[in-house]
Amino acid sequence: MFRARVCVTTIRQLVQTEGIRCLRVHRKLSGLQRAVGAARWKSSAQQAPLLTAAPVRALADEQISVKGSFLPPRAPVTVCARMHSEDGDLWESFAHYNTNQSGSVNLTSDHSVGGSYSGCEPMGLFWGLQPASGGREGLRLRKRNMETPYTVHISLLQGHVSPSEEPITELAAVTTERWYMAPGVKRIEIRQNGLVGTLFLPPGPGPFPGMLDLWGISGGLVEYRSALFASRGYVSLSLAYIGHKDLPGLKNRINVGDSYFMSALHLLKDHRQVDADRIGIMGLSFGVYLSLRIATLTGANPSCLICINGPIGSTIKISDADGKIQDITGDEKYWTYGDEGYVSFQKLSLPANLPPESKVKIENITCPLMYIVGEDDLSASSKENADMIEDSLRSAGKSQLLTRLSYPGAGHLIEPPYSPNSRASLWSVKPKKLITLWGGHPAPHAAAQEDAWKKILNFMESNLRW
Amino acid sequence: MDRNQCCVKLSIRPSRGLMDEKFVVLVQNILPGSQLTVHALHQCEDGHSWQAYAHYTADATGTVNVSKDCSLGGTYSGVEPMGLLWSLGPVPGSKPGLRMRKKNVQTPMEVTISVYQDHQAENFVDLVPLAGVVVERWYMAPGVRRIPITEENLTATLFLPPGPGPFPGLLDLWGGGGQLVEYRTALLASHGIASLALDYLTPKITLETGKMVDNQYFETAYRVLQQHPQVLGSRIAMLGLSFGTCVTLKMAVYSKVMKLRCTVCISGSHVQPVDGTLEQILTFFKDNGAKTRINEKNEVIWRELLLPIPTDPSLKVDVGQLQCPLLLVVGEDDQNWPAPESATDIKEMMERAGNNHLLTVLSYPDAGHLIEPPYTPHVRASSFKTLDTRQKIMALWGGHMVAHSRAQEDAWRKMLVFLRENLYGGSNHYATSFSHL
Repeated sequence: MFRARVCVTTIRQLVQTEGIRCLRVHRKLSGLQRAVGAARWKSSAQQAPLLTAAPVRALADEQISVKGSFLPPRAPVTVCARMHSEDGDLWESFAHYNTNQSGSVNLTSDHSVGGSYSGCEPMGLFWGLQPASGGREGLRLRKRNMETPYTVHISLLQGHVSPSEEPITELAAVTTERWYMAPGVKRIEIRQNGLVGTLFLPPGPGPFPGMLDLWGISGGLVEYRSALFASRGYVSLSLAYIGHKDLPGLKNRINVGDSYFMSALHLLKDHRQVDADRIGIMGLSFGVYLSLRIATLTGANPSCLICINGPIGSTIKISDADGKIQDITGDEKYWTYGDEGYVSFQKLSLPANLPPESKVKIENITCPLMYIVGEDDLSASSKENADMIEDSLRSAGKSQLLTRLSYPGAGHLIEPPYSPNSRASLWSVKPKKLITLWGGHPAPHAAAQEDAWKKILNFMESNLRW
Repeated sequence: MDRNQCCVKLSIRPSRGLMDEKFVVLVQNILPGSQLTVHALHQCEDGHSWQAYAHYTADATGTVNVSKDCSLGGTYSGVEPMGLLWSLGPVPGSKPGLRMRKKNVQTPMEVTISVYQDHQAENFVDLVPLAGVVVERWYMAPGVRRIPITEENLTATLFLPPGPGPFPGLLDLWGGGGQLVEYRTALLASHGIASLALDYLTPKITLETGKMVDNQYFETAYRVLQQHPQVLGSRIAMLGLSFGTCVTLKMAVYSKVMKLRCTVCISGSHVQPVDGTLEQILTFFKDNGAKTRINEKNEVIWRELLLPIPTDPSLKVDVGQLQCPLLLVVGEDDQNWPAPESATDIKEMMERAGNNHLLTVLSYPDAGHLIEPPYTPHVRASSFKTLDTRQKIMALWGGHMVAHSRAQEDAWRKMLVFLRENLYGGSNHYATSFSHL
């Protein structure tokens, strides 16, 4: 009863101070009626429901199963997830369910009837996370510290509520951890021979197959995919090539060349725990261009290539082998601007706009290549580049090397599964604030990440372990 | 570099599990039909090493799945998904009488699981494995809070589950070895029960004053739990093992303060001087000390101290007056306490009184005294320091490894169901039928 009274007061305040439209008030009042009914039930029986998750400590690419029990039968409940990023931003998600006749709800088999996702989505609470309203804009969720987990707090709430919009009654909660490094995986900072990277070693004697992991032009050192590869038994090297304080030259230019990337490959090949004949290269976005380019360098000979949403050429020159730095040509002429300060880089990678001399000779590739396309990629002309690769390989009689995966509704940032996609995020603050478009719609993008990751791991198994 | 070695893939899911959670150990990309050994190694907090191993043959797809395939020998045989943990034993050369018990429950137990070529049985430390991974086993789920309790002269630790509560509560008592033992309590909190581990034989107040605690100590612990803002005062259970069952039964029947929702008694007895203090109960046991037996291995058997089960009602807790559900867990090979005989007598007393609908007995052939949470190694005998004489003896607990390990797994699962049904479910006071257990 007390809780119901609180609800009414708060709603009155909301009506007065926020001027909610009639429709929303009506929806809230019907929710209130349900809440009152539930509160009446709650105070007489004093039963606390139970919320469980298994495993409570999982790797970030693993599914967990969330269940609620000892709830009233056939009753509306909301399950919501909350977590803080390393920068302190609050991310949240929620879904509406109805308990079954035994008073249970199981996110692995039941259907969400509303919220951040709908339908049967066992991991929807995780990929459906959104920045909480009122927070900073243009956020993207990316973990920097690999040695600690994300802590995600999952709650069971009374009725079908929107946790961010109304006062909530938390009935039960469970805390889950999402880890990028499996126990025993070692993280080693690499700052030798001019290289800037992080090496992840699986536990055990080895030898292990190796992976070179390359990301996009926003630069820095992105470790989470490598950490997960090592957790699956691969020695994986995340390599920085632009925008890192330990790299030479200006931060907004690529000041390293072919010799830098060969050096990285050699670090893997020469490592006593790596089988030099079983090394793969993975690239996302601009990393695709680098992967393809490295693959055709003399002496590289990777065993497989995995490319996600990236170009076969580049409007940005990378440094010569002898270290001379080329000026970045004005590739800003290919930037397109939308409303509200959005910028898209999609045209940069249109094959017609790529300098012919920069295009990698795909016909010289001798190893299996997996190319992954997000069909809603707003940042790169992925489909067009995939077509070019397919044509080149066909002409060279090497069609059997290509595995092409294409995902409708998926955007540019096809990353390890169960992490939220950002359709757009902050690109720059200076000289002016720009938000860049990545594309992708929540549910299909999440499905693409999950499916692509499985296929990537299988592809690696087939090509690097046998 | 051996071509084969690169291919072998060893994975354990989950890699970070709770202590009572099952895992799946999968070895892949081995030569089909080849022989291999899966090995587990754990170093305890006290520095001792424990190991287990099993022999397998890879199937036609080059895979060994420990959950599905048959071990052909080693420290366990047959299909045993968790055999690598419960068959752990001290490595050769270890001192006798060891028992594995985690003191720091805030860190995980780390086990290294490795795969070796061929069927190996010794000198693992000299061999190079084909693969090795580390698996963590936790007593505390994330978000569980550990709160030391020292108020009102208690020596206790409270473990609170994550979330708003209110949670049902539980008082957790161990036996004659004393100390503050937290691991079972931490696990129960990981399952949603606000649990209080209580040291009642060697608490600070006893060590300082030399005096044993009285009934009030337990009632104080109950009140502390009941009054906690995140605990549901109307749903508090009590769990006792060994000597802890004496206290549990006594409080459940005779305490005017404690209104227990349900009780669990593992490997114990109702035999004690009724209305006796803790001190008097211990004296009663000591007075029967002559019935101690020592076997040919110099192991001490204490089960006969309380036998035969007395007919004198002043020497048994009057379980006919029990008003809440009672779960009794009994190992039929218990060499330390006459748990099976006591269970039989308890059943008869309750049948005569007409309250046996409250009783559920789980009785396990070939299980011993120490029926603990599952997937930790069974020890048939271990070093034990008696409270009064502080003498170190080798206590015979009983039990045979395979049967005992199965008993632990089954009893724990059923105990959690029992606790959940009584503490979370049903608004009526009377027991739900547990015949399905």
